[in-house]
Amino acid sequence: MTMSRPRKVFFRRRKVCKFCADKIDYIDYKDVKLLQQFIPERSKILPRRISGTCATHQRPLQQAIKRARHLALIPFTTD
Amino acid sequence: MRTYELVFIVDPRVSDEDVVTLIQEYKQMISAGGSEISTEENWGRRKLAYPIEKLTEGKYVFLGITSQNGKTSLPEVEHRMRQNDKILRYLTVRTDEDLKRAARRKPSGRSPAAGGAGTGVMDEPVDDDLDTGDEV
Repeated sequence: MTMSRPRKVFFRRRKVCKFCADKIDYIDYKDVKLLQQFIPERSKILPRRISGTCATHQRPLQQAIKRARHLALIPFTTD
Repeated sequence: MRTYELVFIVDPRVSDEDVVTLIQEYKQMISAGGSEISTEENWGRRKLAYPIEKLTEGKYVFLGITSQNGKTSLPEVEHRMRQNDKILRYLTVRTDEDLKRAARRKPSGRSPAAGGAGTGVMDEPVDDDLDTGDEV
């Protein structure tokens, strides 16, 4: 694979789904520390394309973040 | 068997004793509806991530509920909470299905992952395409 693309010189860290890697199967809305890793400054949900989370885990993650927001555990926006 | 989680936020101006009686009241309603309280946690005073009704703090209460026959009085409990001004927020979540799904994923998901690049095989091509897209 690297042979076919000789132009790419610098190495880019391969993104891995955190939940697959850490084997977190149930994403809890109460786990603020975990969810906070997926809400950057503006408190938006970090897209899959940036975080590298797989679709199977992004869906429950999204649900968990929304539940945590409802309970004011994490903010909707920061301003 | 169904399991639920019920979290609610009480007005911080309500005294701790009153919070306890409030919890007692709701617990009674839940057990009267044929479910059991499996866990009870009082998270105490917590800062809210954003103001609710101009309040910046709230007292959090967590209840874990199990129902054997699928019958609960949770709709009535929710109704009561909505009417109670002391309750700022509440959230009821049914957790048995998600937990079961997670438990099922664990034994089956572990074996390919133990083989090495089990998770990487699926993710790699997608990520690589996106990476080049970002750079160009």
